[in-house]
Order: sequence, then C-alpha cells, then structure tokens
Amino acid sequence: MKKHRTKKNCESSGESQVSELLILPDGQILVHNLTPAFAGLLHELNPDDEHISSRVTRHSSPNL
Amino acid sequence: MICIVQERRPPARREEVGVQSRDVRDCSKGTLKHELQRGGSDQPSLGSFGATGIGAPRSVLARERARIARAMLADCRFCAHDCGVNRLADENGLCHAGAEARFFSAQTEVADERELVPTFNVALSGCDLRCDFCITGASSWNPRAGAGFDARAMAKQAKAALEGGARTIQLLGGEPTVHLPAALEFVSWLPETVRLVWKTNAHGSARARELLDGLFDVWLADFKFGNDACAQRLSKTPDYVRVVKENLLWAAEHSELIVRHLLMPGHVECCWQPVAEWLAGNLPGVKVNLRSGFWPAWQVARHAELRRTVSGPESARAVDLAQSLGLNLIP
Repeated sequence: MKKHRTKKNCESSGESQVSELLILPDGQILVHNLTPAFAGLLHELNPDDEHISSRVTRHSSPNL
Repeated sequence: MICIVQERRPPARREEVGVQSRDVRDCSKGTLKHELQRGGSDQPSLGSFGATGIGAPRSVLARERARIARAMLADCRFCAHDCGVNRLADENGLCHAGAEARFFSAQTEVADERELVPTFNVALSGCDLRCDFCITGASSWNPRAGAGFDARAMAKQAKAALEGGARTIQLLGGEPTVHLPAALEFVSWLPETVRLVWKTNAHGSARARELLDGLFDVWLADFKFGNDACAQRLSKTPDYVRVVKENLLWAAEHSELIVRHLLMPGHVECCWQPVAEWLAGNLPGVKVNLRSGFWPAWQVARHAELRRTVSGPESARAVDLAQSLGLNLIP
C-alpha cells in the first residue's frame, strides 16, 4: 500500500490544503480530507467514479 | 474505485436553554467556580442559572456559554471520563488537554456526508478517546499538535470559505468536546444563519450537552463500537456503549442527527451488528452513514485484525444487514 500526501497552496490565502491518498494493491484508492480541488482532479482522472463525481461541486473556487 | 474515508435546531429551541447575563457576570467574578468547588461533582446545570435571552441570537448564547465553559475548566467534566481536573491550573485529565485549544486542520472538504458538503472543517487537536486506528492519531492524541486556535480569526476564515461555496461549517477533532470554550467562542463569531455541524465521538457528558444545546444544527456522531469489550481494547474507553447511546438519544431530541459507523475489518458481527440493531430499534429513521473505507493507520499494528482494509464481502454483509433492518443509509 502506498500513502500519498498532497498539498496545494492557495495563492489567495497562503493557507495550504491537504488531502491524503492510500492506493491499495487492487487499485482501490482511499481518500482522506478530500478537498474540492483534489476531488476535481480525481474526477478528471476517472469521470465514471460516482463516489467522486457526486462530490465535485460547481461551487469550487480558488479559495476552497 | 475511489473510496472516501473520512470519517437546526429551529430558533425556538434556542430560547429554551440559556444563561442570564447576570449569571455570566457572576461567572467572571468566580461565582461559578465557587459553585463548582462547593458542589464537587454535582455541578450546577445551565438550567439552574435561569434562561436569558428569550430569542437571543445564537452568537449571544454561544458567547455566554463560552465564558461558562471556560470557568468549568476548573473542574473539567466535559466528557464521560469525568476527570474533574483543574485545567486552568495546568492539570491534565485523560485527554491531556490544557486550557487553550489548538487546531491541526482547517479547510473546505467534500468527503463528508453529501448533504453537508462542501463543508469548512475545523479540526481541534486532542481527544478523550484513544482509538488505535485513528486516522489522525498523531494530532488527535496530542492536544499540543498544530497551531494555536484564535476563534475570531478562524471565524473569519470560515466566512471566507462560505463565500467561496462552503455550505456548512463543521467542528471536529480529535474531539471538539474537550475544547468546548474555544468551540463556543468560535460559534459566537459566526453568522447566525450558517448551518453548523458538531462532529463528535458522542462521548460527551450531560454538562457538555447543556452547553451545546440549540447551537448546532446537526450532530454528526460516531457510534464506533457495538460492545464495551471492543471499545476498551481498541480505544481504552470503559462504559462506552451506554454513554454513546445516551448522547445519541439526546442529540436526536435536540437537533438533526446523523450517526456514523466506520466499518472495521473483522468487526461486522461484534460491532456493526449490535449498533445497527440498536439504531433500528431506538432511533428508527435516523440517518446512518456506514463508512467502509477503513484505512489501517496509527497504532493498528497492535491489533491483528485491523492491519488490513475492509473486504468486499464484509462490506456487502454490512450493507445487507442495514437494509434488512430498514436503516436509513445516506451517502
């Protein structure tokens, strides 16, 4: 299992946002602290995944 | 497949419990502390202070209660451990929390219940439970983790998140109950109408509930263990089941309630089944979020069965059970 920690700096606020991924041997991905930006990225990678697509909102902004 | 791990009351209700301004002034002079010392463990309830503020705005109630909560740190009994330590004098109970709150995360997230997201999550450091599988164990077990919590500054950040599209504001931890003064002060700086979520391990005391009554629109409460033996072994928490049931029944009466259960590998029959059966029998129709994305983390190496994720058959069995009992599962 591989654990990935991603940080995204928000230019507007200077705050960093963190999401964590755990990629399992069977290809399943566990996500912790899912930010809108990272949800958007995952959605682009796999638009058919309904777990993510249902959480990608139209409200996303650079502040989120 | 991608699996997400994370784990209002109408205004009229807010009128029923409150604290008179006079009482708050008394608190600032140490009267409450005196009462607590005199009363020992038999602390006065908010009800004994009267009720201010018929129709008082949430911010006013929260500010008054924050002052009372701070005084109650002198004999801390916010959670069911009922330590009774003086946190104002640097004494520590089982949570090890001091008088000042810290936080380890504050950001908008979309992994919580779909009806709540996007939510601005504020995670306070420290917790009264010691779950070996805690995904944020390093921060949740350590109340000194993260940065100092400035309620007013955080409220400003929360307002920016709302303007950016967040629908709710959620206080979590660790366990926010151990930092009630800071949590209530934070609420006092927030807009009156924002939907507030209290994410809790449901191990708080009756005193804590009184301070929270009517301030949060949604209680998002964990019911982690279906029996006291698992609770003791995995989180070092005695008398867990009784306390959680008491909190859930109260929360269902006083606010919207969503119950979360994090499915643990090897614990479908011993934990999920009794939880599901109790919910079906005692809180029919309550919203239940069954989380199957168990992430082996923190101290799981101490427990053989927790060193893996939840299997497909386990997850399917858990859902089947929920459906057979007619539980109201929500995503």
